[in-house]
Order: sequence, then C-alpha cells, then structure tokens
Amino acid sequence: MTQATAQPELTPPPVRDERVRRGSTLARLFARPEMGALTGAIVIYIFFFAIAPAFRNAGSFSTVLYFSSTYGLLATPIALLMIGGEFDLSAGVAVTSAALTAALFSYEFTLNIWVGVVVALAVALAVGFLNGWIVVRTGIPSFLVTLGTFFMLQGLNLALTQTITNQVASPDISSLQGFSSAQKVFASSFTIGGVNFKISIVYWIVFMLIATWILLRTHIGNWIFSVGGSAPSARAVGVPVAKMKIGLFMAVGLMAWFAGMNLLFQFNTIQSGQGVGNEFVYIIAAVVGGCLLTGGYGSAVGAAIGAFIFGMTNQGIVLAGWNPDWFTFFEGALLLGAILLNTFIRRRAEAAK
Amino acid sequence: MFRSRNKALAAALIAISAVVLAACSSTGGKKATEQASAPSAGKANTPHYTIAMITHAAPGDTFWDIIRAGATAAAAKDNITLKYSNNDDPTQQATLIQDAINSKVNGIAVTDPAPAAICPTIKKAVAAGIPVVMFNAGVSNWQQCGGMEYFGQDETIAGVAAGKRLAAAGAKHVLCVLQAQGQVQLEARCAGVKQGLGSEGTMTKLYVNGTDNSAMLSGMTSKLTQDKSIDAVITLGAPVALVAIQAISQANSSAKLYTFDTNAAEIAKIKSGAVQWAVDQQPYLQGYESVDSLWLYLTNANVLGGGQTVLTGPSFIDASNVAKVAQYAERGTR
Amino acid sequence: MTSTVEEKTAQPQAEPLVRLTDAGKSYGSIIALSGITLEVSAGEVTCVLGDNGAGKSTLIKIIAGLHQPSVGTYEVEGTKVSFSSPREALERGIATVYQDLAVVPLMPVWRNFFLGNEVRKGPRMDIPFMKKTCKSELLDMGIDLRDVEQPIGTLSGGERQCVAISRAVYFGAKVLILDEPTAALGVKQSGVVLKYILQARERGLGVIFITHNPHHAYPVGDRFLLLNRGKSIGYYAKEQITRDELTGLMAGGGELEQLSKELESMGGAAAEAGHELGEEAHDLGVSQGRDPDE
Repeated sequence: MTQATAQPELTPPPVRDERVRRGSTLARLFARPEMGALTGAIVIYIFFFAIAPAFRNAGSFSTVLYFSSTYGLLATPIALLMIGGEFDLSAGVAVTSAALTAALFSYEFTLNIWVGVVVALAVALAVGFLNGWIVVRTGIPSFLVTLGTFFMLQGLNLALTQTITNQVASPDISSLQGFSSAQKVFASSFTIGGVNFKISIVYWIVFMLIATWILLRTHIGNWIFSVGGSAPSARAVGVPVAKMKIGLFMAVGLMAWFAGMNLLFQFNTIQSGQGVGNEFVYIIAAVVGGCLLTGGYGSAVGAAIGAFIFGMTNQGIVLAGWNPDWFTFFEGALLLGAILLNTFIRRRAEAAK
Repeated sequence: MFRSRNKALAAALIAISAVVLAACSSTGGKKATEQASAPSAGKANTPHYTIAMITHAAPGDTFWDIIRAGATAAAAKDNITLKYSNNDDPTQQATLIQDAINSKVNGIAVTDPAPAAICPTIKKAVAAGIPVVMFNAGVSNWQQCGGMEYFGQDETIAGVAAGKRLAAAGAKHVLCVLQAQGQVQLEARCAGVKQGLGSEGTMTKLYVNGTDNSAMLSGMTSKLTQDKSIDAVITLGAPVALVAIQAISQANSSAKLYTFDTNAAEIAKIKSGAVQWAVDQQPYLQGYESVDSLWLYLTNANVLGGGQTVLTGPSFIDASNVAKVAQYAERGTR
Repeated sequence: MTSTVEEKTAQPQAEPLVRLTDAGKSYGSIIALSGITLEVSAGEVTCVLGDNGAGKSTLIKIIAGLHQPSVGTYEVEGTKVSFSSPREALERGIATVYQDLAVVPLMPVWRNFFLGNEVRKGPRMDIPFMKKTCKSELLDMGIDLRDVEQPIGTLSGGERQCVAISRAVYFGAKVLILDEPTAALGVKQSGVVLKYILQARERGLGVIFITHNPHHAYPVGDRFLLLNRGKSIGYYAKEQITRDELTGLMAGGGELEQLSKELESMGGAAAEAGHELGEEAHDLGVSQGRDPDE
C-alpha cells in the first residue's frame, strides 16, 4: 500500500515534457477559432480594394459596415446558441415579427410608440422562450422545432398585418408620439470626419464584445461551451442544461427585438414578408467565424467577422460593378472560399501547436 | 386580511396601467386615419358568384394593397365573394391558379409575369369553362393565353414615356432599380426607359431584393457611391422609392428620384419634392375592373376592349396634380 | 455463502457515509435490481463486482442521485435521503466519476476541471487561479500537463480518468463512485488509477469502486459486493474471502457447483462430467467445503 504523496511546499520547477516540441506562439494564436475568419476577411478586403475603386473610400466602408451590422446583430446570439449546440431558424422572421408588433400595437391603439417597443420585447422574448422550452421538453432537434416556428411566424407576420391593417406593410408610425426619441435610440447616425455612420454599427460591436466577455470570462460562458460540447456531461456535473438552452434562445429573441427596432425606426415601415432567408446568413456568419455545426466550439468575435465578410462580399460585388445576374453565384463562391480558408488555417495551426 | 390586501393591490395595478396607457396614448395613429374610407356604391341584386384573383405579389409590396382595395370594392358592390391569393414564384402561382380551377370558381382574374410558367394553366382554366381576365402583367401575349380582357399598362409604352420625360428633364445617366429578377414587366419598364432616353442618356440596371429594406438601402447606396455619374434614379415600386430617398442622401448623391407606381407615403414625398414624379398605372382601377368586368360577363355576357388591351395608364403624378390625388392616396385607393 | 458484515469495534461507531439497505429498482415490469445491501465508510473502499448486465450501472445511478430506489432505503451518514438530481447528491458530497467521464472533449482541461464549480470574482471567473490550481492538483497526481488550455480530448484515457477523479476530490467529495475506471486502460495506466484510489482512501474518502476485474478489485478493496442478474450473490469483508474465491465466484463458481450436482444425479457419462466439474469448482475454492472425491 503506497503512502499518499506529501504535498510539496514549493511548486516544483516546471519540467518540460521531452516528448513535446515547443509550439510557436503564432501557431497557438492561429488555432483560435476566429483567426481563420480574420484571415479570410483580410483577403477579401484586399481583393475588393484592388478591383473596385469605389470600395476604397470611407463612405463605401460605412455602407459595408451598416449592411454587415444588420446581420451581425443576430449573428452574435446565433453563434452563442450554436456553441450551445442548437439552431434557430426562426431568427430571421422574428426580427420582422418584433418590428411589426411594435408598429401595429402602437398604431392600432394610438399609443406612444415606446409602449409598442416594450410589448415587442415581451413578444420576442416569449417566442425565444417557446422555442427553447419545446426543444428541452420534447428533445426534438432544434433545427426542426425552429423550422416550425419559422413558418408559423412567417405566416403570422403576413396574416396578422393583412387582417389588422388590410395592407402588407405596417403603417407609417412617424406621427406617433415618442417616435423621434425612439429613432434617436435605435436608428440614429453620427458623423466622423465627414462620413456618416449608422448607430447599428456601434450596437453590433458593443453587443459582440459583451457576448465575448460572457463567453470567455464568466461561468455562464463555461456552461455554454459545456452544454454544446456534451450536454450529458454538463448535466452530470450539475450545469442547468435546460435553463441554459432556454436562456440562449431568449437571447436570440432579445437581439431579434433589437434588430427589429433598428429596422423599424430606420425605415418607419416594415414589409410583412421581410426577413425570410436571413436565418441562414446568421448561421453562415457563425460558421465562417469558427462555430462548429455540432456545437461546443466557436466564437462571437468570429461570427462578427463572418457578418463582416458577408457584408464585404455582398457590397463589394455591387461596388465592383460585376454582372448582377451572377451576383448570388459570386456570393456563394466567396463564402465557400472563406469557410475553406478558415478550416485550412485552423487545421494547420492545430497540427503546428 | 390577505384577500383585501390582494384586492387592493390588483385594483392599484389596474388603475396604474390605465393611467400609464392613457398617458402613453398619442397623436396620429389609427384614429387619425379612421375617418377616411374607400368609396362604396351599394350592392347589386344579381346572383352570388365567386371569383378568384391570383397575383404575383411579393410579400410586403404595398402596390398590391391598392389593387386589392379596388377588387374588394367591386366585389362588395357586385355581390361577389373574392378569393385572393398570391405568390411571387411563378410555378407556385400556377399551382394557385390550378387550385382555383379545382374549386370551380365562376371567374378568374390573374396576372402573368412569367408566361412560360403561367400561360399553360390559364389555358386549362379556359378549357374548363372558367372565364379568365388578365391584368397588370403579361400585356404582350394575353390573347394567346386565352384571356378575355386585359387591364393594365403597357410597360414598354410607360417606360418609353418615362424615358422621354427623363431626357426632357436633362438626365444623362439613369439608374433603373429592379426589385426582383425575372419579371417581364419590370424588365420591360427599364427597356422602355432606355428606349425613351434614346441618345440623350444612358441607362444602368441595378437589382435589389425588394423584400429587404436594409439590403435595398445598402445596395443602392453602394451603387450611387460607386458611380458618381448617375444623376437620375428611377425605381419600379413605391416602397423602393422610399428607401431610395435615404440611399441618395447617404451616398451624397445629387441624383433626382423618379418612380413607377405609388402609395400614400410616396405621394407625400412627391408633395415634399423628394420624388419628382411617379408613373401611375392606377392599380385600384385594375383591381376594380378585373372583378367588375367578370361580373358584367357573368350577368350580361359583356366583354370590354374588343380583344385589345384596356389601358389604365400611364399617367404622371407630379407636383402639378399631386394635391388632388393625395387625399385618395391616404385612404389607400391611389 | 453469504455472511453479515461485522462492525469494526476498534474505533467509535461512525455512521457509514453511504448505506443501501435491501434496495431495489424496477422499470415497469423489469426488475433491474433487488435486495441490495452495501455500505461504505470514510477511509474505506467498497468494490462492486459483476459482469455486464449484472445491474452495476443501475446501482450507480441510484447512489449518484439520477434515479430513486423503488424499494429499500438509501442513507447518507445515517439520514435517509431521496435525491431528485445528481446535483443534490453532489451537494451531499457524493461524486461520481463515470465511465464516459462527464468531461467535455472540446473544452480545455482547466474549464473541465472547474465545470459547474467555477471560481468567481464578482461577475467574472478568476481564471488565473483556476488555471494554477488545476495545474497543481494534476501535478499532485503525477500528471504534468504542458498546457492546461489544451482540450481535454487530447489527453490519454488514463490521464482523463485522473483529471476526473482529481476534480471530484478537489471539490470536497466525501464519497467517490468510480464506474469501471480501469476498463479501457492499459496496465500502467490502471496502476496509476489504483494508486490514486488508495490515495483517496488515505485522505479519508469513501470509495465505491465498480469493476468486472477481481484482480484490480482485491488489492484495494475493504468490502466486496458481487452482483449477478440484479441480485447480490455475496457481500464480504476482505477478511472473509480470498482473491481466488472472489475470482471463482465471479466466474460463476456457485452455479458451477450447482450444475455438477445435477449432472452427477443424472448418472452415466453425465455423472462423470459432473464429477470433473465438481473438482474444478472445488479447485476454484467455491464449493461448500465438500470434496467430491471423498
């Protein structure tokens, strides 16, 4: 019977394991999930910078950032959700639902628009809760559950708007009280050096930073990784898996509300058919940014870079004056290229570590 | 003691909510527009009929609200049940037409933005003995499809007229913004504009996603930033025009804005000068006449047009006549 | 051959950390476990032996708090308990290290180590402390990781076991339930794990060691519970049984003896076979003391 080893008084000098080559710091850096995406972003930026003169000026860059931010706002919570092991296909139309709720509620009852904003928040959070609750209670894959809610919301958007207003777009709310203050909060813009930037860009970056901090520096982030990496293991050590998943879905709902408010106060009217198809852009942005489809790995910064890549690709093609018929083809090819580059870099970095 | 405390609490909450809601009520809103209502003209004593209207409306395009308003008004007057359905995917629109045939409606009013996909089904309807009236899209071959009458605008004629007016206004480089790809009537408009411009100017096309406001805003802004020589932007739908106003200002462009089709918000912009003029095809009239002409056929075997297109446009709404139209636009019928 | 376990009279009576009395579990019409009695006290190792299908995993789930027993009682330190979640059992100091280890392969070692028990400094985690502690705790066990940031999936099976055990011990487990820790390991790795079981015993923990390998169980165990088809076929203290007897019982020795008796009573060639079988059972040391050659 062996004795227990005595606790060393001093920490023993670190002994290097002779089986290990010292990995380079650079390789370790490149193994981070977002580095592949960053490389892809730099490559695409240089590419369009070279071939599209209009891409180079600050005004264009502001447009690219604005376009990226409309996707980036949702790509952040979708990335967190994917790290947590779930999908949300209803996120795209949820944005429209939130915006429509705010507009229609305030308009129909002739209330201050801020009341509609609050009601929209409650509705968006409720939809997120519903998604999460059904997923954890029934065990049905979230891909399927949210596909169902996607169709339901899409239909509700169209049907309720038509029923309530006899129109397919929400009515003009600019005459309602509170509109100008709400517009200042959700959709104002500011000028730097003569160039106009929309505030959604700032919100996008701020929310991304908050999400990154939560993910990497708090215990909640630890739980998110574990719930996506291996839910049974997480459950076994006492992580509240169901609450986490529901919370993640509600986070998506929260940002869908925010993006909806941004949209509403930017354009003042919402087309009820909007938002369909965006859910895949969010997922693509997250995957380009390093999120695994199987969960447990990824980065919010990466998703933001992914949204930025999407924005650069989309607007860059317009700015380069390419044939519009080929637009979607180029978009798909560039995105595929970005994902491949991302994967290639990460694999090399893993091997070199 | 508990119960009265809870009751008091509940009463207090209700009172507070009421005060808050009252304080949060607002100017504008629905109450303000409640006074305006569409014209109504009583009800005919003819037998009841069911008419299906199938359009290629994309979700959220306000243009179709006006068509629908006209169709609904005619249906109400003619003792007709109107079944409205729409899909911007031509094959799915054809399926909707087939559904109408299967439900044995008394008449079909339909648009044809993609003849290859939709014509065959229209022919089937005619073969099944259902009278078909066409409108808004498909002006060049509606007779071959078997339609009895066509209400709408010849987009090429409208485009040429618009192009000529653009040339007269001094436009040298026109950006024609299409909100969907693969729709014949949109393509015809831009082609017409180019023709109307003639040698006075050039035309460039830009495709945007008409159902996504921010994508439209970004796309148009980028294009205007990329090509500073654009001095006129013509959009093919009212929602697009509204977004174009923002795009032009964001791109710091000096381009003037023109458009096809109208809605209430856009008419207000014509008044304010943000939009120079709009080409109006009178969608209310198209919707109204499609339903009403079928009623006339079913009750009196009348046919309008003599085998030719019944034109509902183009007419131009600009600063000179916008005041008159504006009040009707606000109630959603112009 | 069953016997009751004698109380240790050498030291003052302390309630066993975990005691199951006549516990059983049924799922619908299926009786997974019945009539199970076991206990483990501080500084003791109780081995649960049995082949696949014997009911070991059901037993673990009951002790770990995943399921509740259908019959019988479960006491922790003398008090009856009924856990509705593993978290509750964890809070009472009953930690389980599963065969599949309850680790998240993609997450770094230090994140796995502190999963569910993160050290917080206000709203955020105290990451330097956790990394340092993880590294030193593992070093105590003889694992020198070059980088606790590496995903735990890159560690060998034995190293992962040790991380999991170290985690449970660090977080104040009083009772450690180890679910077949050596099943997938090589000889050297198994030795490391057995060594650590003894270390845990020295630290005053109670260990419930589940295995189907009597050669691993005998050196470290103080009590042995043998399971077969959901029932207990023996519950012995170390003094009451030898390693060969243990091995024999596990090989189905009791049944062999039974079979040999039946064959002998049939006569003819069967009786001869039965006689040989009886000798073998006797060699294994599991017969009731009757030498068939007498």
